[in-house]
Amino acid sequence: MAKPTSRADSSTASAATEAVLGRGAALRGRVQGHGNVRVEGKLEGDVAIDGCFAVAQGGEVVADVQAGSLDVDGALEGDVTVSGAVVVRAGARVVGVVRGATVSVEEGASFSGRIEAEFDMPPELGGKAAR
Amino acid sequence: MAATVIAQGITIEGDLTADDEVVVQGTLRGKLSSRDRVSIDAGALVEADVTGASLSIGGQVTGNVTASDRVDLVAGGKLVGDVKAARLTIADGASFKGNVDMDV
Repeated sequence: MAKPTSRADSSTASAATEAVLGRGAALRGRVQGHGNVRVEGKLEGDVAIDGCFAVAQGGEVVADVQAGSLDVDGALEGDVTVSGAVVVRAGARVVGVVRGATVSVEEGASFSGRIEAEFDMPPELGGKAAR
Repeated sequence: MAATVIAQGITIEGDLTADDEVVVQGTLRGKLSSRDRVSIDAGALVEADVTGASLSIGGQVTGNVTASDRVDLVAGGKLVGDVKAARLTIADGASFKGNVDMDV
């Protein structure tokens, strides 16, 4: 019934199969692939995924992260490059450079580093035309 | 719901340790150890030494596996490597190449 576009397929598949690094789990190394990843434990290394990378409360990540989107409520240290939205929640501690299409930081979050949000300059300021 | 899930489509290269249950549906290279149960589901690819309380293997594993309780090689599972566990079952339809040490 629904149009079986690959986009819809991949999003439903990734929603159903979220990878989780649970509380009490620790990973040293590289995580890559398709889908979403949530970290409740400790991760040290490198992350390159196309879905959402989430650091839950209590989660500790020291890694360079490339992801589709980012949602942090734990501790994250590293360079982050995200094609979509970055949400830094109230319980988060972030250290590093964060690049994303949109970046939001909730009140109560601790952030030390740089935020680079991509946006088009308005035409009157000589930038590319606004979307 | 298991505590740690390596979902299908995800590849992990490195050293994973866990206190709770670990389910692998994707790819894992390196080392995996858990104090609890480890399930390697059909479709999973593991190139690692695996340690757990009990191990269920329905995917493909290359590496030595050690369990404090038991190892179950279920139908469709493929294990190339040595097994060290007090109890071992190999189901019809599973394949296995390696040595078994039941600690007798």
